Amino acid sequence: MNFKLTEEQELIRDNMREFARTYVDPVAVEIDENSRYPEEVIKKLAEGGWMGMPFPAEYGGAGVDYLTYAIAVEELSRSCAATGFTMSVHTGLACGPIALYGNDDQKKKYLTPMAKGEHLGAFALTEPGAGTDVGAATSTAVLDGDEYVLNGVKTFTSNGPVANTYVTFAWTDKNDKRNGMSAFIVPRETPGLSVGEHFMKMGIRASQTSEIIFKDCRIPKENLLGKVGDGMKIAMNCFDHGRIGIAAQAVGIAQAALDESISYSKQRIQFGKPISKNQAIQWMIADMYTDITAGRFLYYYAASLKDQGLPFSKEAAMAKVFCAEMCSKHASKAVQIHGGYGYCKGQKVERLMRDAKITEIYEGTSEAQRMVIAGNVLR
Amino acid sequence: MPNIVCCFKWVVDEAYIKPSSSGKIDLEWAEYKLSDYDRNAIEEAVRLQEIYGGGVTAVTVASSDATKGIKDALSRGPEKAYFINDDQFENLEPSQTSAILAQVIADQIDYDVIICGEGSSDMYSQQVGPRLAEKLGIPCIAFVNQLSIEDKQIIAERKTDEGMEVISAPMPVLVTVLPDINNPRVPGLKDTLAASKKPVINIELEDLASEYKRLLIDKGLKAASIERNCTHFGAGPEDIKAFVEAIRKTGVIDRG
Ligand SMILES: Cc1cc2nc3c(=O)[nH]c(=O)nc-3n(C[C@H](O)[C@H](O)[C@H](O)COP(=O)(O)OP(=O)(O)OC[C@H]3O[C@@H](n4cnc5c(N)ncnc54)[C@H](O)[C@@H]3O)c2cc1C
Repeated sequence: MNFKLTEEQELIRDNMREFARTYVDPVAVEIDENSRYPEEVIKKLAEGGWMGMPFPAEYGGAGVDYLTYAIAVEELSRSCAATGFTMSVHTGLACGPIALYGNDDQKKKYLTPMAKGEHLGAFALTEPGAGTDVGAATSTAVLDGDEYVLNGVKTFTSNGPVANTYVTFAWTDKNDKRNGMSAFIVPRETPGLSVGEHFMKMGIRASQTSEIIFKDCRIPKENLLGKVGDGMKIAMNCFDHGRIGIAAQAVGIAQAALDESISYSKQRIQFGKPISKNQAIQWMIADMYTDITAGRFLYYYAASLKDQGLPFSKEAAMAKVFCAEMCSKHASKAVQIHGGYGYCKGQKVERLMRDAKITEIYEGTSEAQRMVIAGNVLR
Repeated sequence: MPNIVCCFKWVVDEAYIKPSSSGKIDLEWAEYKLSDYDRNAIEEAVRLQEIYGGGVTAVTVASSDATKGIKDALSRGPEKAYFINDDQFENLEPSQTSAILAQVIADQIDYDVIICGEGSSDMYSQQVGPRLAEKLGIPCIAFVNQLSIEDKQIIAERKTDEGMEVISAPMPVLVTVLPDINNPRVPGLKDTLAASKKPVINIELEDLASEYKRLLIDKGLKAASIERNCTHFGAGPEDIKAFVEAIRKTGVIDRG
């Protein structure tokens, strides 16, 4: 066993770090405050080839392994969790299912511009009445001649307000709970698709979130993703690999919390010495560093299993829940280390603590991850 | 169209230079990086190539494990690299580094312009560029912060203590560049992936005619340390007097 990344992986990590310092750090505070989509940053990411990292070159991607991609998400999230998430939803949840289940035509038409970063993707599964309980969805898709007619309301769709291509899910057979749901690719300009208001959120405020409403929205039959009835399988598989991206995002946020805590605690003088000289502060920092390292290796492990073509569902869930919870805990500790200043705008840890919380909720709550893990362990 | 050579050094990343509690510096876990100004040198070579055509070759003298440095340099645009390496090639003296570079460049590389960073991030002796020019018998222009080519002449703007100086020189020529000459681009993902496929010419000690024995030997590294005594002063005349008295006691200044 060798815990070392390849030279190429290290360089890609370092380059993403440099990219984030150059293009993301200067806008991170402003896009959080204004809840603004950083179009110019996403364009730069596209130019650098970062928006389709794990997909084959013939479909516009860079063809790197999933581990390398996840490492890039971590580094980007260290500067801005919202930007990291925009890239990760696009890659893992929108490009991912087309790459895995799409036919050659679909990959040429939809995946290629997405992997090149010319088109942004979104994943519309959650509905107002169907969050953790995906099966409670009510959206329907009815075949009418050569077209499917979609009806339903999707909510919490990340990238929703700015996406060009949506991967969505609807019942083709409502009576078949197991195999009645199907997945579809819907281009934004399709009549009958409308985009709701952008939600105002606690954290990852630069990530754009909205409802997506389908009202007699007609898409060609060819836009069915996979086979009729594959929907649930596709959704669950997307979550498995998407969760590695969220785990990486959480590690990035936690790493940023640690970076800030180290530099602040060495500078802040109380009782005539830097607060880092107190054991109470040292222990917080030691715990942060330990959990970050553990979390990083958990997601590296899940990603490397995936790269080897081995089952990784349980490991992805473990990485997601562990990283999310340690991230929230330590972002809060980082505010603690900063005292009152940490509670105010102007210190990065204030944003980090707000951003951290979402990692415990989306792409399956921590409770949902534990269901996956327990389901595997108790089998 | 000019053949451009850029030289770079793979150095310890100063972010990893931290003293242990005993004041010693432990570099065992240190990461390496491209020397800062050498990034500017590589960027300038690539920028000139984009304007005037020609080719860019990167050259380094390094210890044999600096393979990541080669990939890093190539991801920034040069189309091939000369990796002159040996386990002993760490902490060479500038005279040795420049002699090795001169030997390989003179024997194996067509060049019109050679670009070096003004100095390296670790030692900053500022000697390798000028010494290399001397050994090759070509003109050297140092402290350059703007560069162009006109009628087979290089036009360089030099930043000196007195002000700016614009000079020209015939090619071949060697230039050492300052950091404000350009903003090195961030390599994209595909640049990094392509770097691994570019040709690297491997040159080892036995391929060089001469022997390069390390003369500068590290006898120990010690960190500079800062002692804070956390004394506070106000801004009134009395406080300033007290402040001056206090730093005088430390021996930092004396009445002179
Ligand atoms: C910012 C943001 C972005 C999002 N992006 C997307 C997106 O791009 N695409 C998309 O489709 N969805 C997205 N979501 C939706 C997200 O995946 C859901 O919010 C999440 O799955 C939880 O669903 P819910 O909010 O309906 O909560 P609920 O499912 O109502 O859960 C409420 C609470 O009950 C718990 N709970 C529920 N069921 C059980 C159970 N059986 N046992 C124990 N506890 C249980 C949950 O863990 C949670 O604590 C996003 C959400 C947010 C907030």
